Amino acid sequence: MFSRIAYAFRETWESFRRNLTLTAAAVLTSAVSLLLVGATFLIQRAFENLLVQWRGDVEMIVFVRSDASAEQITLIDSVLRASPTIIDVDKLRYLNKTESYEEAKRIFAGDPVTLGLLTPETIPTQFKVVPLSDDPTLVRSLSDQYRTLPGVEAVALAEDEFEVISTLSNFIRVVTLITSLVLLLVAVGLIWNTIRTAMFARRREIEVMKLVGATNWFIRIPFMLEGLLQGLIGGVVSCGGLWVLNSAWTSGVTGFKPGTGISSLVVPDSYLTSVMFILLGIGAFVGAIGSAIAATRFLDV
Amino acid sequence: MIRLENVTKIYGTETVAVRDASFDIPKSQFVFLVGPSGSGKSTLLRLINRQEQPERGDVWVAGQNINELPASRVPHLRRSMGNVFQDYKLLLNKTVFENVAFALEVIGKPRHVIARQVPIVLDLVGLADKQDRFPNQLSGGEQQRVSIARAFVNRPLIMLADEPTGNLDPTTSEGIMGLLDEINQTGTTVIMATHDHRVVNAMRRRVIQLDRGVIVRDQERGVYE
Repeated sequence: MFSRIAYAFRETWESFRRNLTLTAAAVLTSAVSLLLVGATFLIQRAFENLLVQWRGDVEMIVFVRSDASAEQITLIDSVLRASPTIIDVDKLRYLNKTESYEEAKRIFAGDPVTLGLLTPETIPTQFKVVPLSDDPTLVRSLSDQYRTLPGVEAVALAEDEFEVISTLSNFIRVVTLITSLVLLLVAVGLIWNTIRTAMFARRREIEVMKLVGATNWFIRIPFMLEGLLQGLIGGVVSCGGLWVLNSAWTSGVTGFKPGTGISSLVVPDSYLTSVMFILLGIGAFVGAIGSAIAATRFLDV
Repeated sequence: MIRLENVTKIYGTETVAVRDASFDIPKSQFVFLVGPSGSGKSTLLRLINRQEQPERGDVWVAGQNINELPASRVPHLRRSMGNVFQDYKLLLNKTVFENVAFALEVIGKPRHVIARQVPIVLDLVGLADKQDRFPNQLSGGEQQRVSIARAFVNRPLIMLADEPTGNLDPTTSEGIMGLLDEINQTGTTVIMATHDHRVVNAMRRRVIQLDRGVIVRDQERGVYE
């Protein structure tokens, strides 16, 4: 058993050295495409910070002063529920101070100055409103009415604040996703081609192996391992690139003025780590697929 | 040991390589397949180690109909056969020792078995002192000896030799034939395709003659003609 494993690794390494340029091309292509996949994840997540308060079709947020009395809050709630034809009362949600503070931590993730001004005591609580109607003027007229209620600090409309960002984020997501998928396909093709070349270079050896009775799996595994390794190395390179990009961005956004929203576009380290693991996984998968196809396709000597 | 029953092999749609061939080769026999180039000798060998499958008829090896063998069992069939070729098919980047060891390595034999078996078989073919040479540093006859050692190291039941003396001068050929004879003496069935008159006439073994894919003669202790 041990000698078989040793054999597979030795052959893989040999083949790597022999096809250095092709291997490098395959590795770099998978690295670039995986970097794009990773960037898509991060951009997505960063925009979510901005959009987190509007998640679930929320179109309007009624902010309640932190010193509002319980009666005032009840009153606001009943006023909101008084328009069941315009507001989806089932989806109406009230966030208390703790919940609002948790949310703010995400929104101001890259803006510690603003976050420092907020405490769980002084933060405004909020009603999240999901409208039933698609008509923006109806929602807008309601918002004007709510602004005058006692205890209301402000009313924010998604239309005013984040429609643009939401559209932009969708657009960026679609473009990067398509680009990265195309590049991933190219990576599979390149790995496939590298393995094919490697097998062609060793066709004599493969022929001898088949004649003396080596099993197809025994012949195939070093090649599959080679492809898997190419994808995996591509994944490692892309992780490095992603880390560099993210670090540069995270330190760069602190230069923006607080409260502009740009500073919210950062991701937590734990998220970055899980994206990196995903990239390694995709890399290995892509490599294994490309080489498995090649190894199966070209094994008939 | 090997039995063909009305075997026909067609390449493409109309090139008939072997037509309705039948023979029975008992264990430990030495058989020459003779005939001009393209008469179907190599195809017969390729049918026996299942590099090819016939359009009609059955090929039996050691009591098994090998055309009914699932693809996953073919490697095990091949482990019972050694193959020798006109062009040796040695791996040029490996030494003599490594070339022979390769045959055991790729069927998963442990290292201590390889370390024991390879020197024995290299001694048998008379190359014990050249085990660290590379194929390019050897003469044609020596290279063929290495390839015989590789074919024999796993102690196969059957040895298939396709024109093993095709590239060698008469004296060297004699040596190779002596070696194959020696291997045959150990009980290994040897089937050798050749169009070398001298070796066939010198050995006086069973001769199966082919002409355009058809067996035209099957004779115990025959000559080439």
